[in-house]
Amino acid sequence: MGIIDLKGLEVRLGKRVVLDGLTGSLQGQSIGLLGPNGAGKSTLINTLLGFHPPSKGTASVFGLDSQRNRAQVRSGIGYMPENDSFIGNMSGVRFVRYMAELAGLPAAEALERAHEALFYVGLGEVRYRKVNTYSLGMKQLIKLAQALAQGPRLLILDEPTNGLDPIARQRMIQLIKEIRSQGSVRLLISSHLLRDIDETCDEVLILKEGRIAALCNIEAERRSNRSFMELDTVGATEQFSVSIRGLGCECACFPGGRIKLVIPDHVEARDLYVIASEQGVQIRRMNRRRDSLEDIFLRAMDNELGRTDHVSL
Amino acid sequence: MSVYEHNYRAYAGRVTPVWTRIFVLARYGFAEAWSSKITVGLFTLCLLPPVVFLVGIYLANNPIARALIGGRGPQALAIDASFFLTVLEVQSWFAVALASWIAPRLITFDLADNALPILLSHPISRLGYVLGKFIALFASLAVVTVAPCLLLFVYQSYSSPLPWVAANLHIAAGLLAGTSIWIAFLSILGLALSSWVKWRVAATGAIFAAVFVPAGVGGIVTGVLRTKWGFLLNVPFMMSALWRRLLGAPESARSSFSLPTEAIAAMLVLACFLCAAMLNARIRAREVVRG
Amino acid sequence: MNDQIIFEDVSKFYGEVLGVNRISLSIPPGITTLVGPNGSGKTTLMNLMTGLVQPSSGHISVLGLSPVSSPELFRILGYCAQFDSFPRGITGWEFIFDSLMLHGMSAAQAFEMAVESLERVQLGDAARRKIAGYSKGMRQKIRLAQAIAHHPRVLVLDEPLNGLDPMARAESIALFQELGRQGMHLLISSHILDEVDRISDRVVLITGGYLVAEGSIQQVRQEVREKPMQVLIRCDQPGLLAAKMFSVNHCVEARLQADGKGVFLRTGDIDQFYSMLNGIAAEGLVKIESVAPADDDASAIYQYLIGSDGGTS
Repeated sequence: MGIIDLKGLEVRLGKRVVLDGLTGSLQGQSIGLLGPNGAGKSTLINTLLGFHPPSKGTASVFGLDSQRNRAQVRSGIGYMPENDSFIGNMSGVRFVRYMAELAGLPAAEALERAHEALFYVGLGEVRYRKVNTYSLGMKQLIKLAQALAQGPRLLILDEPTNGLDPIARQRMIQLIKEIRSQGSVRLLISSHLLRDIDETCDEVLILKEGRIAALCNIEAERRSNRSFMELDTVGATEQFSVSIRGLGCECACFPGGRIKLVIPDHVEARDLYVIASEQGVQIRRMNRRRDSLEDIFLRAMDNELGRTDHVSL
Repeated sequence: MSVYEHNYRAYAGRVTPVWTRIFVLARYGFAEAWSSKITVGLFTLCLLPPVVFLVGIYLANNPIARALIGGRGPQALAIDASFFLTVLEVQSWFAVALASWIAPRLITFDLADNALPILLSHPISRLGYVLGKFIALFASLAVVTVAPCLLLFVYQSYSSPLPWVAANLHIAAGLLAGTSIWIAFLSILGLALSSWVKWRVAATGAIFAAVFVPAGVGGIVTGVLRTKWGFLLNVPFMMSALWRRLLGAPESARSSFSLPTEAIAAMLVLACFLCAAMLNARIRAREVVRG
Repeated sequence: MNDQIIFEDVSKFYGEVLGVNRISLSIPPGITTLVGPNGSGKTTLMNLMTGLVQPSSGHISVLGLSPVSSPELFRILGYCAQFDSFPRGITGWEFIFDSLMLHGMSAAQAFEMAVESLERVQLGDAARRKIAGYSKGMRQKIRLAQAIAHHPRVLVLDEPLNGLDPMARAESIALFQELGRQGMHLLISSHILDEVDRISDRVVLITGGYLVAEGSIQQVRQEVREKPMQVLIRCDQPGLLAAKMFSVNHCVEARLQADGKGVFLRTGDIDQFYSMLNGIAAEGLVKIESVAPADDDASAIYQYLIGSDGGTS
């Protein structure tokens, strides 16, 4: 039994079938939810929260059916919606307290936890001001605070870095990583930014047109991609790449001194450096390719050749 | 141990039972409604008539005081069902004012910034949400209707000779029933209209309109079609008739149109269903846009 | 200078509130990205350029034209706003077609151009539906389509990738790059700094209403002299590597990473640094895992010039 279990889940909105026979078991500590617009990500989240009844099949969270055990399921979930969602006329503390009490905390504990959560996300004096005076970054943080205050078992974050400037984005990602490493909460994060998902999730579910396009573990994929490498070089790049090929590596040259290569097992980084020294080439960047998530995503989207060119990075 | 870390920690304490969450909603709703100075002002205004009535009861039961004032004779003021009908009517119309101010405060703040997805992601159903707000509104209105009416009755029982109470206990029951039905209806109407009208001031106006405007339409129907059923749209008329019957007060002489109680009850129930349908349409976590 | 967008000492105040203060800027053709925290003046700058607001002082010239009620300018200008509002009840097709008609095109021309722009953003089939039913990503695309439909020469895009899934992002980026190559002026504001790295020719940093930096990313980085270049090297003996670097005097600061498998090295002379690194790696005493310049990108510039106190959240 995983965190989230889907068995033949079908959900209709109006007459349209939005989720079409989803089956799978999500077990990671932190699960990423990806997919093109209209693939059904929001609908899936809404179904887990019990907002949409399934027309066929079931969805369960921690073993509890999302439709029949709605109250119990919602008790264990902290939800951070994508859009603005707050009660503007209340102060930040009051809002978080209110939500915590609705989640089941007694009044005194709710107040304590509210302040704890606000401190943890970094909202200081601002918490005493009315929420409708908050900036965008603060609104995102207050949504996170209200989800955390109740001590949920599953935290659902829908586009947590939406509209945040770079510093606030970094902080949000840092917070998410910390929550994840603390261990008592599982996370389900839906985002359009592959980088965010890459940094924060270990398992990823990719939806396309209401069906599961891929469900896999990023860590495992990453480990199997070890033999790819990218170099940025300055100097006689062409000659350099010829020599590397001589070692047995397959490589491709790109403008700006960029080289992508596959390193066979018997070749080490040192060998590359030796050749570089001999030829007076500087290696200014070297990294094992980390973008396995992009590979996974592209494969899941099932690209024709033409579009792949646009998307290569 | 001198450095303390404050990381996220899970909650391991007591959890309140699910049904009490409705009262959390009611409590916060109540606080929201009463946080405005205008609410307090309206409330004070609503309590002025009972003071007047109190004086009236005192005078009716104290011939000495009456003589002091100028003694016009015992028949000036009889504390009976008709008297309490007047009390009931006055308080109920004041309640309309209070309801049309409070109801929007309960719902519109939540809808204005799309708080429903977050609210409903907690263990509270849509019905629970509406029930919580209903309780808050009902309680607020009860303070200006049920409470003063019953208190006046108690005071009358206290200051009048004993047989009066025994003979007029049905008035108390009628007061309780009449006020409860009215404020229940008013509450659900107020909540329904507030959920449909986005602007708070407009919602206040809409509630007033919903109570009084159909009377005009009803009047036209009655006049044109020459039927008494047009009065079914006339809320003040219907409620007066209903209260009259509940309190056992004599029928007014000029009422050539008399509506059967069943018709009035049916009309109220129908209106409540309509309001429930309106709430069902608007209190949703997610909108589905067609086309 | 008829191919530049020029701001001369421009200030804009909204009553007491500062929009931008004494900005002087000159934007050449190509892709220029506007970067800064929320509330820093980016939208004000864009509105000034498009003539939606008038400067309190100073002078603006867009390709030689002044934005003050200039129909010629509006013909060559395309604007894609950040905000998500549309006329009520309108379909996607009508939105684009109508705006083209407003430009004075004949119905036949407008038809062709509308079809073309919808094709470019990949929104063909959904065009007949009402915009109210669109997902967030589709709304973004239709706004973009409207901005490019009349073949403008200057394109001002306020956070155009917001809400787009990874495929759509990549396609939009490809579209921008193509338009940039054709000699258009594109002014794009964005918070996603690794995308800024990838697509911009130039970057403009703004915070609190003031211009902080402007130029290509490398140029800007090199001018931030008080922070010498930093390189992250992952290897098996970071301490030894640092010691060797210190001993040949090309390193001003070394910071070991917490896991003991990497080191941040700061150096004043990046060229010599890499040559020395090559040599050390070729010797083989230290096994190099990866080499990455840690701060030659938009994210680092942002950190140094704007930093955590530049944000309003």
